[in-house]
Amino acid sequence: MLFIPMLGKEKALNKGKGEKMKFSNLGKETPILDGLEKVTGRARYVPDLKVEGMLHGRILRSPYPHARLKKVDISKAERISGVRDIITGKKVSQHKFGPMVPDWVILPDDKVRFHGDEVAAVAATSEESAAEALSLIEVEYEVLPAVFDPELAMAEEAPLLYEEKENNIATTFYVHKGDVDKALAGSEIVFEETYQTNQVYQAYMETMAAVAAPGDYERLTMWLSTQIPSMSRLRYAEALEICAEDLRIIKPHVGGGFGAKFEYKAHILAAVLARRTGSPVRMVNNREEDFRAGNPRVPMKIWIKLGLAKDGTLLAKDTRIIAGNGARTVYAPAITSTACYRIDSLYKFKNVRSTGYTVYTNTIPTSCFRGFGNAQMHFAMESALDTICHQYNLDPIKIRQQNGVTPGFTSIHGWEIKSCALKECLDKAVEESNWYDKKKEPAEKSPVKKGIGVAICNHVSGNRPFFKPFDGSSALVRLTPEGKAIVFTGEADIGQGMNTAFALIAAEAVGLDVKNVRTAAVDTDISPFGLGSFATRGTTIGGRAVYEAAVNLKKQLLEHLARVYEKKIEQITINEGQIYFDDQEDPITVAKAIQTISYTLGGTSLVGHGVFVPETVLPDENKYGNVSPAYPFGCHIAEVEVDTETGRARLLNYWAVHDVGRVINKQTLEGQVEGGVMMGAGWALGEDMVVKEGKLLNPNFHDYCLPTAMDTPRGRIYSYFLESGDPNGPFGAKGIGEPSLNPVPAAIANAVFDAVGVRVKNLPITPEKILEGLASA
Amino acid sequence: MSGSNNAQAGQMAISFKLNAKEYNLTISANERLLDLIRNRLGLIGTKEGCGGGECGACTIIMNGQAVNSCIIPAARADGAEILTVEGLSGGMENELHPLQKTFLEKGAIQCGYCTPGMLLSAKALLDQNEGKEISRELIKEGISGNICRCTGYQKIVDAIYTYARERKGIE
Repeated sequence: MLFIPMLGKEKALNKGKGEKMKFSNLGKETPILDGLEKVTGRARYVPDLKVEGMLHGRILRSPYPHARLKKVDISKAERISGVRDIITGKKVSQHKFGPMVPDWVILPDDKVRFHGDEVAAVAATSEESAAEALSLIEVEYEVLPAVFDPELAMAEEAPLLYEEKENNIATTFYVHKGDVDKALAGSEIVFEETYQTNQVYQAYMETMAAVAAPGDYERLTMWLSTQIPSMSRLRYAEALEICAEDLRIIKPHVGGGFGAKFEYKAHILAAVLARRTGSPVRMVNNREEDFRAGNPRVPMKIWIKLGLAKDGTLLAKDTRIIAGNGARTVYAPAITSTACYRIDSLYKFKNVRSTGYTVYTNTIPTSCFRGFGNAQMHFAMESALDTICHQYNLDPIKIRQQNGVTPGFTSIHGWEIKSCALKECLDKAVEESNWYDKKKEPAEKSPVKKGIGVAICNHVSGNRPFFKPFDGSSALVRLTPEGKAIVFTGEADIGQGMNTAFALIAAEAVGLDVKNVRTAAVDTDISPFGLGSFATRGTTIGGRAVYEAAVNLKKQLLEHLARVYEKKIEQITINEGQIYFDDQEDPITVAKAIQTISYTLGGTSLVGHGVFVPETVLPDENKYGNVSPAYPFGCHIAEVEVDTETGRARLLNYWAVHDVGRVINKQTLEGQVEGGVMMGAGWALGEDMVVKEGKLLNPNFHDYCLPTAMDTPRGRIYSYFLESGDPNGPFGAKGIGEPSLNPVPAAIANAVFDAVGVRVKNLPITPEKILEGLASA
Repeated sequence: MSGSNNAQAGQMAISFKLNAKEYNLTISANERLLDLIRNRLGLIGTKEGCGGGECGACTIIMNGQAVNSCIIPAARADGAEILTVEGLSGGMENELHPLQKTFLEKGAIQCGYCTPGMLLSAKALLDQNEGKEISRELIKEGISGNICRCTGYQKIVDAIYTYARERKGIE
């Protein structure tokens, strides 16, 4: 029975901030429910899977950034013992597909477009045979002129990656609301600057991985390390030219993703090889190829012009962004458009204009990375505001309080800010960090200088235009005759603790003890459809569907309790796994009752079904329309020390305050914030994919420097959560994944400026740039 | 190279103790200790993160030292005493080493991929500093060869610090 939730019913439940609500399961520090298998090493990830008869797949990648494939000779490679199949562009369909722009083929038969592009794929009985076969494939390349810088790629004389794409522009985004020119002309303060954000790598510890196995009924099962089981099923069916129903996707434990684990060529190649050989095929990237052909962050050059009144009121924002798409389109166009206009719902802008070009270059295709373009723009906007405050003697806290959005505000793009504790986030961060006292401290006499910087952030909790057909989620909660509840969702826990959040939501809504609730691994043959882990949507949209399913289950449970125990529904209360009847002293356990009920129903489980479809819309041609059911906000304050002799900046303390709507699990929220802050700090202070003539020079963890425990603040990362009680989120909850990172690079850049007066406008903030800045001061 | 052709020439017999159990195996000269543990012994808790000794996901304890098993030839295991995550609890199926328990309770785990290696680096560090006061700084240094991309390390350091103090009887 399909349960269609009543939208708005939630409003009565969420009393909003200020009113204390009593919860049995929420707001506590609950260790993740799948922690035992992780801590014992028993948790299985895709690279741990073994299927009988499994072949090992490997991919031959281009050693040139742009080259015509004159000849691909596999005759010697085919003779290697153990080689079962080798595919090249000539052997596979050349139909085009892709997540946003149909510029993907299974394997190209004409040319390769980046250093690392897929040329051929091998399936063999051992890793060794597959590797040997790769080394024997003879490819004749005709090297073509290549272009690496997005701005140069737009020039008339630049070589084209795709003949039909003029000036190498994949997509252009344009938005204009109000009258920017007029507002700028009337501004007492006009500020203009260019910022650059570099290309960085998600560096999840488990590389991209797939096992594809042909099954019964001519179907194919794929075990994927993915953030989007349901969506990738649709896309891979399109790539393989089969019906999506003939694909079964299973997502076991996933070793991190951070935006990278979306549609991926190696998954498709594993599927093609499995179908051709009739055998299971394992395809796991080694770390170098994961670096060379992953889905790194979209690099951006951001020109920004801001107009303000003398008192700091923001009057106009004009931006122009050139974003690197890489050699084929993953999600960069959506990331560019996000950078163009999502921040317009952080401040009460009335006049905004933005143009964003997503440009092809002969480099690694770029895609989602925690923050999705909004992080890039936060670096520009929040750095710019800091500089303006410095130049015009304005208070960086007050300017944000003065211009920041407030509850009930509808932005110039039609985004409806229902819950919002942005102002309170600023207040809390200022208080906890002793901001004003620290600002008054005199400069250190030693060569090591301290500094403090602030940045605020917004984000979405679901993004309607990401998947054109719809946004929403569905869930099932099954109560077994043994009294255990299992949550089935298509939303993908990739290590954030979402499955635990879902279990807590279900336990709270039904009245169960969370120890008796678990969330099943995603299996598209069983789990309902879930778009997946992106847009900070899991807790809000996926969690709301789980909530609706749990409410539906509780309704059924109450009806059956009334029937079996001959009571009226109003006489029954369920709490923490106990059932209370108002005319009876002692409660009975849910486990006992459900067994009794189940025996009257042929042994069945009770299954609650829930659907959540947010009342969001696809933005119209003017980019107007509310895209998300809820918007999270936050304020970060970074305290750094900068050694003026070495140029090295490092974190001293960090305060992160977030409006999360409602705390579902305090422990995993803190985990998200601490992880997001360190990921942002790594980006701000050193991570960089160094590319020369299209070749990545540092495709390993020795040369690509990720933060280690030694890079954590000398003091601590302090996190605080404010509960604004959103009307759409389950129990009022909004997301945390991406907002935890968005303001980090700017907060650190502003703190570095405060420490030594050096403004770094192009990430990362390296010792060289700081020393250079100090020398030219 | 073709494994089957030179199989005889490249093989050697080794014996070692792993998780308190004796093993006598014939290995090939180019076999990595990580592959021996994962593929031949089926102990999947030891993860491959980089294959270059740079991330610590494959950390095991060998003769009391935390080492990266992805850059150690299996031949080096001859005569060695090895501990992997599967042996951390002392072989009891449903029991946990106090470090595992603290990691779990303190939220030091997210995706879990770095967890086994992190636990073994922590154990080696604590064993080597038996009886000594352990500072947060020492812990940070001790696990600096283990990359965790999810947690930002704070809860991992907290967990190790908590256990180190509990072990010394400090609350």
